[in-house]
Amino acid sequence: MASAVSSVGLGKKYPGARPGKFALDDLSLEIPTGRVYGLIGRNGAGKTTFIRIAATQLAATQGTVYVLGHDVRNEERAIRARIACVPQESRPLYFLNVEEVVYLYLKLRGLDPREARRRTQDALDELSLTPYRRSLVSRLSGGLRRRTLCAMVLASDADVLFLDEPTTGLDPIARREVWEAIRRASRENRTILLTTHYLDEAEALSSRLALIESGRLMLEGTPADLRARVRYPYRVTVQGSFPREELASYGKVSEIEGGMLLFTREPEAHEVARRALERGLRISMGPVSLEDIFLDVVGKSIEEDSNGPEKDDASLEVES
Amino acid sequence: MSERNRLRSIFTLVQLNGIIPIRTTPLYVVNLLASPLSFLFFIYIVSHGTYVAYGITGGMVLTMLTVGTSLQADLTHYRHDLKLQDIVVASPVEAPIYVAGMALSELVYSLPALAVFVVLFVAWGFATVTSLVVVAGVMVLVWAFACALAFTLATYFKDVRETFIFSPLLSLLFTVLPPVYYPISALPGWAQVAARVSPTTYAAGLVQGAVGLQPLSLSAAALDWAVLGAFTVVLFLVAAVKARWREP
Repeated sequence: MASAVSSVGLGKKYPGARPGKFALDDLSLEIPTGRVYGLIGRNGAGKTTFIRIAATQLAATQGTVYVLGHDVRNEERAIRARIACVPQESRPLYFLNVEEVVYLYLKLRGLDPREARRRTQDALDELSLTPYRRSLVSRLSGGLRRRTLCAMVLASDADVLFLDEPTTGLDPIARREVWEAIRRASRENRTILLTTHYLDEAEALSSRLALIESGRLMLEGTPADLRARVRYPYRVTVQGSFPREELASYGKVSEIEGGMLLFTREPEAHEVARRALERGLRISMGPVSLEDIFLDVVGKSIEEDSNGPEKDDASLEVES
Repeated sequence: MSERNRLRSIFTLVQLNGIIPIRTTPLYVVNLLASPLSFLFFIYIVSHGTYVAYGITGGMVLTMLTVGTSLQADLTHYRHDLKLQDIVVASPVEAPIYVAGMALSELVYSLPALAVFVVLFVAWGFATVTSLVVVAGVMVLVWAFACALAFTLATYFKDVRETFIFSPLLSLLFTVLPPVYYPISALPGWAQVAARVSPTTYAAGLVQGAVGLQPLSLSAAALDWAVLGAFTVVLFLVAAVKARWREP
């Protein structure tokens, strides 16, 4: 499948950054056409920098990005005609109402007013914003403002959509409405590059994922690929007293409230489950979640901020 | 983007940043009237009406300059707080379209103030074909260089609070210190030379000359036009080089 977006040895060093501090370091990615591609990583990992370079908002220091076959370095006009972006922490103009935000954005892009009106109505319906269409942005909650921005770009005629944490601040129902709209856009053969802090969201939406840390690519592939590449693809939770040393012989153990958490391989998971049940303990087991993989690879939770360019030893957990 | 679409984009920016905010908050218009009318009132009281003509011509220049100071604040706010510029960059809208649309949108705020001053201009008997042509030309150039300056400055501001510092400073440097509200002859010799650094000195000189407040020979007028035009071109060139569409 052809790539909608591909980066080649992409590097970014911000002006004034300390020596050796790269926001992106030799990052090469292939983002297939017509799919949702998730970019995950902690704050400061380089997700937004990647999106801003690909969306022609920021210049790269090394390498380049091709969007729909055009080089961001010198073919930005051809790229801009076919992309749309919801930047991180962006907000709609507070004196507009919801309908105006979407409609005027489409008109600004050059759409015919009648077509802009039709697309606006569809997008507002799709994201359950119609009841708020005449509400001023200044009177909306943060979640509704974010949803309005999502409606704005989803209503556009762009082939590639860059969504930088589009669902931050949304309640679970609103998040799912945005998810559905993103899936629909993907079914229309549009490519969506999504960054998110919600790993369940990344997993639910993305056909492929890239995990980046300190500007470097740590893992890339389908969610199944990612599971297959971690050393311990199964997690077992044992409630009650089970000798830690015995458990540690099966894999990686950590203590949790009321018991132990073990990361291990599938046969060992079954073995541990059998032994735990023999002791009358309660267990739960299953494939690792994306959150587990992230913790395993990066060594820190996605909620923690990235401290800088230092590479984590935790990457040793990934099988080459 | 076709020419038709470019025009549509410019008009949309005017609607988005000019017409709709005024509809929502009409006090914006009063805000732009406040400074030039305050100056006019002050001059009227202090000079017992003698210098009120300077208050009218100066008020027109100040109104157009205020378009620039408002624009730099809006551009900075939209870029840093709302990320509007990033949204527009990642779209078919080209930088000159954004520049033209935003500059024109700010002009909308100044139209009521300009209307008031035009009425006063006519009421004071200044309106002739020549004076109206000169005033219109000068207003366009002041608007253009004020907007070019706004785009350049907004590139360097990291927060809208920084514009709060620069807006009064620009007003001071371009309308209070230079002879916009008084004749240049009122300044001591060294200050007259210093005033030549400000483009508003030439703008005010042309308007004051056109309405007969100051003697202005044809050659002096030609020189004023040339210098004012050159200032505008240079400020546009600086804006074109320094203002960033894609961040480095």
